[in-house]
Parts: sequence; structure tokens; C-alpha cells
Amino acid sequence: MSDEYNYTIKDFESSFRPTWCNGCGNFAQWRAIRQALIELELLPEEVVTVSGIGCSSHMPNFLNVFGLQTVHGRGIPVATGIRLANPHLTVLVYGGDGDVYGIGGNHFLHACRRNVDIITIVSNNFVYGLTTGQASATTPVGTITRTTPRGSIENPINPITVAISAGATFVARAFSGDLEHLTYVIKEAIAHRGFAFVDVFSPCITFNKNQTFNYFRERVYKLEEIGHDKDDYFEALDLSNQRFFKEKLPIGIFYQIENKTTYEERDFALNQGVIPAHADLELSDEQIEAITKEFY
Amino acid sequence: MKKDVVIRFVGSAGDGLVSLGTLFGRILKKHNLNVLGFRSYQSVIRGGYNTYQIRFSRDEVLSVGEGADVIFLLNKHVANLHKSVVNKGAMVIYDSDTMDLDEFDYPSDIVKLDIPLVSITKDISKLKILKNIVGFGAIIQILGLDETLTKEVILEQFERKGEEVVSTNYEALDKGVKFALENQWPIIWEKHKYEKAQQMLITGNEALALGMISAGLKFYSGYPMTPATSIVHYLTKHLPKLGMIVKQTEDELAAVGMAIGAAYTGARSATGTSGGGFALMTELIGMAGIEEIPLVVINSQRAGPSTGMATKTAQADLFQAYGASHGEFPKVIIAPCCVDESFLVGREALEIAEKYQVAVIVLMDLYLSEQIATIRKLDMKKKNQRYGIENNPSDKFVRYKITKTGVSPRTIPGTVKGMHFTGSSERNEEGTSLASTLAGLPETLPIRESMVEKRMRKLEYIQKEFPEPKIVGSDKAEITLITWGSTKYIVQEAIQELMNEGIEANQLHLKYLNPLNSEKVIEILSKASKTICVEQNYTGQMSDYLRMKTGINADAHLRRWDGEPITTTQVVEKVKEVVKNE
Repeated sequence: MSDEYNYTIKDFESSFRPTWCNGCGNFAQWRAIRQALIELELLPEEVVTVSGIGCSSHMPNFLNVFGLQTVHGRGIPVATGIRLANPHLTVLVYGGDGDVYGIGGNHFLHACRRNVDIITIVSNNFVYGLTTGQASATTPVGTITRTTPRGSIENPINPITVAISAGATFVARAFSGDLEHLTYVIKEAIAHRGFAFVDVFSPCITFNKNQTFNYFRERVYKLEEIGHDKDDYFEALDLSNQRFFKEKLPIGIFYQIENKTTYEERDFALNQGVIPAHADLELSDEQIEAITKEFY
Repeated sequence: MKKDVVIRFVGSAGDGLVSLGTLFGRILKKHNLNVLGFRSYQSVIRGGYNTYQIRFSRDEVLSVGEGADVIFLLNKHVANLHKSVVNKGAMVIYDSDTMDLDEFDYPSDIVKLDIPLVSITKDISKLKILKNIVGFGAIIQILGLDETLTKEVILEQFERKGEEVVSTNYEALDKGVKFALENQWPIIWEKHKYEKAQQMLITGNEALALGMISAGLKFYSGYPMTPATSIVHYLTKHLPKLGMIVKQTEDELAAVGMAIGAAYTGARSATGTSGGGFALMTELIGMAGIEEIPLVVINSQRAGPSTGMATKTAQADLFQAYGASHGEFPKVIIAPCCVDESFLVGREALEIAEKYQVAVIVLMDLYLSEQIATIRKLDMKKKNQRYGIENNPSDKFVRYKITKTGVSPRTIPGTVKGMHFTGSSERNEEGTSLASTLAGLPETLPIRESMVEKRMRKLEYIQKEFPEPKIVGSDKAEITLITWGSTKYIVQEAIQELMNEGIEANQLHLKYLNPLNSEKVIEILSKASKTICVEQNYTGQMSDYLRMKTGINADAHLRRWDGEPITTTQVVEKVKEVVKNE
């Protein structure tokens, strides 16, 4: 395989150019995702990116893989259906904080506990960008936005803590200002067996003057550099709870357990090697007998 | 002797009414009798007032019937509640150890049949529930049913619980038979010679599930909601044998989302719910519409709005289905009328969805989903054809190519050179979104126009697949009854009754609601002398729909919205009233 694999980053690029603002954090992720796919030697036809609605959710437009954009917040369930119907595919959900933590929050919780082997990357810019700057689920208290002109009065969600508590088997954070580390985290997430979640600090240069590239540059440090033991559940929770937006902000893999069975391995059809997407549509006499016996 | 018999079990949740009704249905099926059963119940897990009514005949059974010939009261609480609905001449069987019917002021024109069920049962076993089988014994005696055939069913039912359980059940049955015989209980159904049964005893939802399975259903997702949940129950039971995925989801948004995701990969997929869940699904139904992903959504209607009456029937989601989701996209709506047809519609829905890459909505209702009927053996063997999947695309795959029928070839993930982008926004033929930088550019306006036309054009071709609506009955009838969904055979029974009274009525039953063959409906209705539209709602959704689609007003209406199915008598009376006022 390795000898034949000769895809380049260009091959994963679609003919449609990104429409994000110049300087948007999403560009780094566009690059990192393609880089990670190549390093993992994945074939474009075996990758599906699924998104919802928002600036970041335009991502599948710009990648030359199978791309499916859904409605606001529904990337995760649609991706789950894709993966369960064909477990040979690499299924990557990509969306923003409004999409995944706000309107799609319920699906996010259940994806964490379900452990279907999909990857969810959230471009977290702490604001609704595409609708021109309203508060989101991650907007810090006191932030002035167009819907919170006197400052936000709601506490933000802590996605890392939520994901770990809800049972995700891979929980990480990265920063769009550090491409190399971002690529590393995304690559590890894709390679992970089970539900993988990456929250990416990804500044909105137009509607967020608080959480800027410089803001993060001054605060982030890498968990990989402090010798964090990523299978330590309590340490991971503790790190995820370090005071938000005041002091230092850890990035890297908070938590990963590699030997937990996935949903696919537990499913009574999939664990027998069935691929519903390719399954024979005809029924055998034995099957018909087995499923209709009770009616005679 | 009677032509058919209506038997009604009356109990509370927790009395095992469903198992009792099903078991009795199976006994009747064993006798090769035609059966139709329906449970009327409340949204409680224990207690309450529930009935399970079964009608059987050697002929076809068109409705579950009204007045019961035989009533079996399962506890004192319901005995008191049931007195006001007991019809004249009914035989009321009750346990004289636990209740005294004289206490409750029952009408005097009934036949009281008391049997000491508790004392009889005590002699056989400690299992109190066995008293129901003693009751069954007495019932089969007055119905002239065959004891050996009945025991065959008991054996099938209790075999896996061991020999002792079977033999105590046999003994209970014998004692019941003996008691009725010794006490000279009247016999209302003559003893027949019964041929071996070839029929199936199955509910509307189960038949629908079998239809989908035979059409190659590989993925079904759902969130529990009465009366659609039994589809998931049935499919889940058999999923390992079928190699399919059945997924209970966190909500209906996820249910329809997962079904769409699975369908996108090529797996034939469906989801099901009732009105409230359907409301949540609608945004994604529109997405499947614009993305041209095959999708089947079942809405088994119940009385709404909101929680409404969760365990009661209605046909009040026609407009919800027709108007589901914002914007315009081709949407197919099919409403099966009975258990057999639920099977066929389940099959047809998946096929149409894939062939035309559209959303197909199957409108069931609680009365149909939950009725249990004997039907002829279903033909599960089917050669399923695949439609529109391109396995070897050329270098540049164009997913949304504009074609004559509006259907474009699609590639499924995993197909080499098949990559493309499918967005929920409007697009050009290649799939590139017109929503952002291309939106509103002069050159994109005609693209938007032709994309909408392409999708909507599918309906013309889908309509050609459907058989034309037709009139059932005499062309010269003085009344034409318009029906849709589960009221079809109730109305047919009424038409037969009316014929005996010298009133001629015919029926226009609509199964394919969208696309509707308006031309044919106009042709039929313009010839009709007087029309009555029959439906289970307050506002007359079908009358309004027909007026909208054909410009024709029904002359009269029969509507019921209290949650119970329309009865034959109601139809007969309505027709007589209309005829009289002419």
C-alpha cells in the first residue's frame, strides 16, 4: 500500500476555493485535515466529511472526498448513519461551536457515549460568525456580542469536560495558530478506534475581537510537553477544568482509551461483518422462515 | 346462528390483555377463520380501562365491529365502567368469585354468565393468571370451537415454558369447557369442520415492516413513539438474522438524520414515528429532498396536537405530511388502507424512494398500525432491482446532472472517482453550492430555476407509476363515499349494508395522495351524483385537499375526531341522512 500511495495535498482539494475571510482559523484546519489524510494514506473515495451549517461547515465544499453538508446541528447523526451503514469508511464530522455544542448539543452527548468510530472536529471561535456575530454556547460571560450588548450573562459550556464525562474515548484540543500540532492531533483523532473529538481554538477575525490568535498564542501550552498521562481519566478532567480564559490553556490530547469496544464491535449485525450499504437485498428461504414463523 | 361474532375482552393495563387478545386471535386463525382485532387503551402501564375486541367470520371481516356478542370482564373495576357500553343481548362472562354483576346495575337485556374462575383455577395451579385460560375454555364452548385445535395453539404458545405449563393450561381449558357445558351455556356459533389454516395473523405495523424487509431494508432508525414503536420492536427482534441495522436514537432529528446518512451510502433506509416526532423530522426531510437522497418516513398518525391523545387514532396529519419542511421539493405520500396493503406499501415506498431519489412519506394511523388481522400468506420473495447507482464513473462525475426524468445517477462513498459534494444549498450540476459567493449572480438564476424544475419533474414520472384511482361499486350509485387510509373497509361494509336497504353507494378510495392524479379524480367526481368525504379529523383535511387539487367540493362530510375509529353504523346513518335530504 505504502509504495503505491502517491496522493498529494492538492489531490484532496476540490475545485471550489474556500470562501472564508482572509486570515480565518478555518484555513489551518483545511490544511491540517488534508495533511492528516495523506499521512494516514487514506483514499479520497473512502473518506466522507459531514458538516452542518455555519462558516466552518462549508469545509466539505473544499475537499475532494465524499462531502455531505446537512442542516444546522445534524452532522453527527447523519455521519453516524453513514458509518453504521458502511464501517469501511472514514467519517469525519466538521462544524462550529454553534453547530455542534448549540443546536446539535444533544447529538454530541450521545455520540460521546455511543462510541461509534467517527471523528468530530469543532472549529470553536466562541461566536456565531455566519449570522454576523451573536453569542454562542462557548461565549464567555460578559462578552459583548450583537445579541448580548450588555455582555453575555450565560455560563459557557466546557466541551472538553463534557466530552470526557459523556464517555468519549478520544478528547483533544488544538489551536489553528499551530499547524503542526493541529495536524498531529487531527491525525491521532482519525487513527483512533472509537469516537474521537477535537475542539479547535479557531479565531474569528471578523466578529470576535477577544479570542484572537494573539490571545491564544499567549496562553496555550501543550499537554504533550508536560508529560500528561492521557489514559488518566481524573487528571484529564482536572486539566480540562483549569480556569478558562484567565490563565494558561492546555492543548493536545486530554484523554484517550484505546481498548474500549466500539459501537460497531458491539452491534449484532456489524460484528458479523455485515456491510449494510453493500448487503444483498434478497432474502433466503431460511431468513423468511425465521422472521415470519411467529405469524403462522 | 350468527354470520360473524364479536368478542371483547375488557381489562386494565397489566391484565395481559394484548397477549390474551393475540392468543385468542391465534386460536381463531387455527380454525381458518378470518379475524380482525383492535385494542383500545390508555397511556398507562398499570390500571385503567382497556378493551381488546376481535371480530371473526368465515367470510371477509371488514371492520372490527361495534356491539360485542361476547364480553369477558377481567376485573371488578372495569366491570363497573363497562356497563354503559354493553349492547342488548350481549353475553357477559365474569368471575363470580371476585365480582357480583348485580352490584353494578347492568341492563337487564343481557345474558349474565358467571363462572367461579378463582376457585376453579386454585385447584389446578398457584398461577392466578391461569383463570383467563379457564375463561377461554368456556368461551370456546359457546363458540363451538374445536378443543384439539385450541390445544395446538396453547402448545405452540407455552411449549418453551415446559411440559408442566402446557399441561396446566390444558387442564384449565378443559375445566372451562366443562363448566360451560355443565351449566348449559348457550351456543352461538355452530360447530364446523375446520380446514388447516394457511393464513398469517399480523398487525399493520408488522406487515409494513415485512414489506420493507422484502424490499431490502438495511437500516431503520427510530425514537420510541406510539403507535410507530412496534415497527422497531419487530425489526430489532430479527436484526441479526437480517444483517441490518436497527437504531434507537436520542431523538427524532437523529432518527431521520441517521436514516439519511445510511441511505447516502446506498443502504435502503427508513425511519418511523408519529405526528409529534414527524414534526421534528421535517427539516431533514426537506434536506433529503434537495440533496436527492432516497428516504422513507413512516408517520403513524395519532390524535394530536401535541401529546393529544397518545393512544387514540386520527387522520389529521395529511397537511403536515403535504407541507412537511419549508421550500418546495418532490414528496411522495402514500396511505395504506389495511394490513395486506401495509406490506405492499412498505415495499413500494423503498423502491420509489431509491428509483427517484425522493422522500416517501407513508401515512399510517393508529387504527391500522395496531389492528391485527388474518391475511393470506405474504410473498416475501422478491427480486429487488437497484436504481441509479453508478459504480464506474468516468473521470469527472457530475452528481446532479439535469435529465429528462429529473433523476441523476449517483455514486456511493467508496466508489473510485465518485467523489462529489452534496450540499443542503442549491447547487449547479457538479454540486457546487450557489448559496455563498455564487448566489444571486446573473448566471446562477437560470441554474436555480432548472434545478428546482429538475427535482419537481420527478413527480410527473412517479405519478405514471401509480395505478389510477378508480370507483368501486356501481357507476349509477346515488352516493359516492370518498375515503383514504384505514377507513376504506369500514365504508365498504357500510356500502354492503346500505345495499341491503336498497340504497346504492359507491366508493372512491385514495391511496396515492401525492402526487395525486387530479385529472382522474376530477373525471370520477364529476360523474358522481352526491359525494360524502369520510375522515378521522375535525377540519376535513381530505375535503380541503381535494378542493385544492381538483376544485371540487364534497357535498357532505362524515368526520370523527374523538380518537375512536369511525364505525359502519356512522357511515350508514350519514348516507341515509344525505339521501333523505335530497
